Order: sequence, then C-alpha cells, then structure tokens
Amino acid sequence: MADVAQVPGLWEQIRLVAGLRWRILRNGLRRKNNRWDLIGLIITGFLGALFALGLSFAFYFGAYTFLSTSHEAWLALLFWGIFLFWQAFPLFTAGFGAGFEFRTLLRFPLSLRAFYIIGLAYGLADFAAIASVCWLFAMTLGAGVANPCVLPAMLVIAALFLLMNVTLERMIGSWLERLLARRRTRELFFALFIFFIVSIQFISPLLQRYGRSAQPWALRLLPYFAVFPASLAGRAIAGAATNHSRDVILGAAGVFSYLLLFSAFLWWRFSAQYRGEELSETAAPSRVSARPASQRDDQEDALRLLSPQVAAVLRKEFRYLTRNGFAFFLLIMPPVFVLLFGTQFAGRHPTATKHPLSPDLFFPGMMAYLILLLMSPAYNSFAYEGKGVQAYFTAPVRFREVFLGKNLMQLAVLFLELTLSIAAFSYLVGLPSMPVFVATLAAIAFNSVGQLSIANWSSLNFPRKLEFGQMRGQRQSGMAVLVAFGTQILLGGISALILFAGRWTDNRWLPVEAFAFLTAAVVAGYFASLDALTDLAEKKKETLIEALCR
Amino acid sequence: MTDTAIVTEKLTRRFGNLTAVDSMDLKVAAGQFFGFLGPNGAGKSTTIKMLTGLLAPSSGRMELLGLDFAAHPVEVKRQIGVVPEGMGLFERLTGREYLHFVGRMYGLDRATTLRRSEELLDFMQLADRPKTLIADYSHGMQKKLALAAAVIHGPRILFLDEPFEGVDALAAGALKALLGRMTERGVTIFLTSHVLEIVERLCSHVAIIHKGRLVAQGSLEELRAGIAGEEGSKTTLEQVFLSIVGQGGAERPQLEELSWLM
Repeated sequence: MADVAQVPGLWEQIRLVAGLRWRILRNGLRRKNNRWDLIGLIITGFLGALFALGLSFAFYFGAYTFLSTSHEAWLALLFWGIFLFWQAFPLFTAGFGAGFEFRTLLRFPLSLRAFYIIGLAYGLADFAAIASVCWLFAMTLGAGVANPCVLPAMLVIAALFLLMNVTLERMIGSWLERLLARRRTRELFFALFIFFIVSIQFISPLLQRYGRSAQPWALRLLPYFAVFPASLAGRAIAGAATNHSRDVILGAAGVFSYLLLFSAFLWWRFSAQYRGEELSETAAPSRVSARPASQRDDQEDALRLLSPQVAAVLRKEFRYLTRNGFAFFLLIMPPVFVLLFGTQFAGRHPTATKHPLSPDLFFPGMMAYLILLLMSPAYNSFAYEGKGVQAYFTAPVRFREVFLGKNLMQLAVLFLELTLSIAAFSYLVGLPSMPVFVATLAAIAFNSVGQLSIANWSSLNFPRKLEFGQMRGQRQSGMAVLVAFGTQILLGGISALILFAGRWTDNRWLPVEAFAFLTAAVVAGYFASLDALTDLAEKKKETLIEALCR
Repeated sequence: MTDTAIVTEKLTRRFGNLTAVDSMDLKVAAGQFFGFLGPNGAGKSTTIKMLTGLLAPSSGRMELLGLDFAAHPVEVKRQIGVVPEGMGLFERLTGREYLHFVGRMYGLDRATTLRRSEELLDFMQLADRPKTLIADYSHGMQKKLALAAAVIHGPRILFLDEPFEGVDALAAGALKALLGRMTERGVTIFLTSHVLEIVERLCSHVAIIHKGRLVAQGSLEELRAGIAGEEGSKTTLEQVFLSIVGQGGAERPQLEELSWLM
C-alpha cells in the first residue's frame, strides 16, 4: 500500500498546476539566451494589458450607451466581439504544434471530474480568456449603471456566456490537439491556414470592388445569426431591459443549451484522453510492399558539374524545402503579393490609389519587397537542420561547400519565384521601360549575392532552431532579424539611390552599368568570404551545435 | 600504416570554471575494440566530441591514425565514422536519402553510394520503409540508421556513443557480429556504454574516466588483475568499475537513507 494518506483536493490540484506553469515560465526565462524573451514578454504583457483595459472601457461605454439610449438589441454586437475574440485568438497564438503538456497530468491520481475541471481552469488562464472576462465584467458594470434592473439577468447571462466560451475554447483546443497530433495533418492544417491568411488579404480589395452589390445578399443572412450564443445572450439582456421575460428565458436557455452541448463534447474528448488515448507522432509499424529492385546506378548525375559534397547539400536542401510545409507554402506568397499589390496600386482600376503607379516606379519597388521576403530565411539558414548539423562537422567537408550548396538552393528559389512574379507583374501591370527593367534585374543580382555573405555570417553567429510545420514558439533570433533588416535597408538604399541617379542624370542606362560593376564586386566578395566563413564555422561550431541540437 | 589509432596528449576541455576533461593521455592501438567508461557527467561524451571534431579542445593534442587532428581535420574525418550523442540525423530525409547524402559527403562516387546504401538498409532491416521519413522512425530504427551512416565509407576508426541503446536484441546481435568482423579487419572501435556487460563481452581494452580524469586504462585482464576478487571467481567489469570509480562503494548513495522505501 502506498503511503498516500489522501488525494489532494481539487483546488489544491489547480493551485499546483498553476504553480507548475509559473515555474516552467520562470525557469525558462532564467536561461541566459532567453533574456530577450523576458524583455519581449514584458513588452507583450504591457501591450496586452493596455489592449484589454482599453477595450474594457469601450465595452463599458458600449453597454451603458446601448441600454441608456434604447438600443438594447445592439448589445448582441458586444457579445459577438467577445465570442469571436475568445475563440479565434487562441487559434492564432497556439500555432500548429503538438503540445501535450496538459495531458501529462494524467500520470497523477486525478479523477475524471478533477481532470475536466482542471482542464477548464487551464482554459481560463490564457490571454484571450482573461481579456474576455475583463470585457464581460466591464459590460456587466456598464449595463448595471445604465439600468440597475438589468443587473441580475446580466450577471446570469455573463456567467453562462463565460462558461460556454471557456468550454467551447477548450473543446476546439482538444479536438485540434487530436487532429494535429500527426505531423502530416499538422502540415495540412498549416497549409490551409496560409491559404486563409492569403485569402484575407483579398477581402479589402474585393469589398471595395463588389461590396455594394453584395450588401443585400449579406443582409439576408443576418437573421440566421440569431440562433448563435452571442445573439441569444444579447437577446436575453435586451429582453430584461424591455421587460420581455420570454426573451430573457429563451436567450438564457439558448446559451445554457450551448453550454450543455459543448460540455458533453468536451467531456467526451477528456474521457478519451483520461482513458489513455495515444496521440503518438510515430506511425504504427506496417509492412510495406517491397520496393522494385531497379537501381539507377547507370544514370548520369544531374548535378555532376558540382562537387559531390555541394551536390549532396543542394539535394538535401531541395528535399527539406519540399517537406517543410511552412517554407514550401510560403513560396506561393510572392506571386500572390504581386497580384494583391498589382490590383491595389496599378492596372486600370487601382483600389488603393486614385491613379495607377507607373511600372517604372512600381516594378523596382515590388521586386525590392520580394527580395526582402525571399532573402530573410538565408539569415538563419541552419534553422531546420536540428541534430543533423553535426554531420557537417563530422564529415570530411569544408564549410565553404556547405554554404555553396545552401546558397545555390536559395538563389534557385529566388530565381524561380522572381520569374513567376515578373510573369504575373507583366500580365497585370505590364513591364517597365527596358532600362528600368534591366537595371532592376541587375539590382536583384547585386542585392541577392550581396546579402548572401552577410546572411551566411549571421547564420553562424545567431543560429536559432525552428521546427518543421509548426508556428508555436517559432521565432528567429532577434540579432539575426536586426542584421537582416540592417543589411536590406543598406543594400536597398544603395539600389534606390542608383536607380534614381539614372533619372536625375537623365542617363537611363547608368544604373545598369553601376549595378553590373557592383554585382561583379559582390560576387568576388562572396567567393572571398567563403574561406573566412569556413574558419568562422570552426570557431562557432559549439554555438551552432548547442543551438540546433537542443 | 600506423599501429596506433588514437593518441591524446594532455587533452583538456574547460567550460567556464568546469574542467570536463582534464589533461587526458589516452592511447588506443589500431584494431582494438575499445570501451570508454565512466559515470554520468564524467566527460565521456566531451572526449568523444573532441575526438570526432564536434568540439574544440581547450588545450592538448589529438592524433588519429598518425595525423594531427588540428592540422589535418578533413583527412582525419575521411577515415573515421561517428554515431554522435543524439545521432545527428537529418530527420526530414528518408533513410535511403540520408545514406546517399552521407556517402556523397564522404566523397564516395554515386554508384558506390547507391550500392552500399541498399546493402546497409537491407542489413539493418530498414529497406522495407522507403518512403518513411527519419522523423517517423522509432528510436531503435534511428539508431540503426545512424550506425549505417557511420560505416558507409568504410572508416578505419568508428566512434560509437551508446550504440545499442534502444536497439532490439535481434538487431543488437547482428550489429555486434558486424562490429566484431570490423575489428578483425583492423578497424578500431571506440565505444561508450553504460551497460558494462556489453563492454565486457565486446571490448578487449577499456579506459575509465572519472571527474574528467583518466583513472584506468588497459586490457580487461590488466584491469581485473589490479582488483582483488573473491577467490575462485572471475572479477567482473562491474566490480572493476565500482572499485575504481566508487572506491569500493564509498561514493554510492546510502540505501539506509531510504529506509521508508524498503
């Protein structure tokens, strides 16, 4: 018989879990490397508090104004605001990573009821929940001050609405956890998320173009929203303010029904977790049919012009790119941005400006923006190597070969993306004049090769491990971001000056000559830097291995 | 051709105030199956990292196969194979792709790389999962793949950090046989393991590191000879190890303190 005299009470267990989370956070920030994280957390915390408090005043005055000016029906809008924020914000901040921290509690002697309640309490501990509770409180206060008779109904509805939201948020979270437990599903969701984010960019231009004609259609949909919890909560408070007890009862019963429904689903999920549901990353072993015996020994190597080591790194980089959902799906962004900005600033009917920008101005600007996007990953080019980075140090290679392989891949991606983007640009806006077009291409060569040496240096000095297909906790090193930003501003500034010099001097081909000279210089500089970077890699190998093998 | 595979002179590695490896003078002859033992935190992994080029020594000298490591790192690395701590795999490649990558990185031609990759995958029983990423391998499968990658170029010294951890008994048996055959062909194997029975069964020579210092080195017989065992019974490596590292149990945790568990 174990020496456990009694299982700790529920509140004691909640207190222990809260203490555990606090210690994990505190100990994580204690690490020397995480000082910037601490500063970031303080700034984020301050901004978050400002956001929550600022909107609390808005919710207070909103509730007060709607009730005191007989616009009770509009209260539903405030409930909708809280509802959408509470449910959507955690989805964006949690990211698509596997996180089983909460489930690890199952090793302790918890009853299912305790597990469920701790799970709910856990849901109240994130920013969206805390901010939403503040806003609900502010709303209740505003409603109470405007019309004290509403206060009892407001208290009941606020409590039900709070419970319903926290239950729904936990329910969505636990179902997502199940869905995202497998790497492939996680990456699929990530792809959908990227498509969603890209689609959002088109809402504004589409609304500007088609908003007016879509208005009647949207208005016809509005009544259907009445059956959702936020509308029901609004209806109940409006009923209390106008002495329609039927609306109060119907609204409260509706929110309560949602609470019961979500609770049942959540109980179902938590029961499965409690029984020991396995959400393993590792695929169950299965016998795979034997592969065909065909060997391709006799085929020529497509990369035979490169040394075996450079070719090996290049192949590996290509495979990593195609298997990295995050990086791979981001490749659709440059042509999409061309389409997006093209419709807003150029073409026959620009939506953001009155008159379309000339291709001579717009084309270099657009290309500069794309270079900014596409070159950024080069500043932390070992991010996805993980423990594999050790292979570069145990294999008989010099780091110049590793960098050559990686940089070739980066330039190939850049070339492909820019080709697609230029094609989209010429279709949508038309190409600029020949001198500007050639000068911009030369500027692209200067900027991309010019950045590579500094990006390689940054990759060795400020490495930060990133996980495949995850958004959770995926941040570049602050210094790498600063170096990238500084370099891009410097090279971009030089390029802008040279491009404008062509206009000022009325010599349209001057920028082309200048960029050709600069490109030759940075290419020579790039090859000269490779040996120095090889020596630096030897000096920095411990930093690199420690950062990436963590 | 040198008779000595590994020689270190006053090899030292410091991390701030901590001296992880302290003036180590190690000598391993070519063709030996060498076990490198020590308690947790003794400096085993630090030593193996220095010997394989993953960590720079603070001072001292290393010579592998007669070549000074600091002066000829690439030539030395061409002749050694490593299964590092954590295995060092590129998890987003398949097993076959990873072996192709490693073979080419060691400078093997394409045809040899392809042929050896297939043979090694077959031997390690990994050939039936051609499309599975290493990230989705079990721990034991990853270990077998790391071993395959370490030998693909036919190294003359093989460094293995806990090579049998997580490997099933069947595969472990095959691997032990393979390693035995390699030493017969003159390959030197430098192995760390916490499982003393494995070291005792496989290794001909052993060194023990404790608190960063090399405290014993020699053949198993030589080490046994230095320890007085029970009359008529053969002294085990565990007894030797505890005798040297634990000073006869003086450093072992006192079980009496946990009386409530017994």
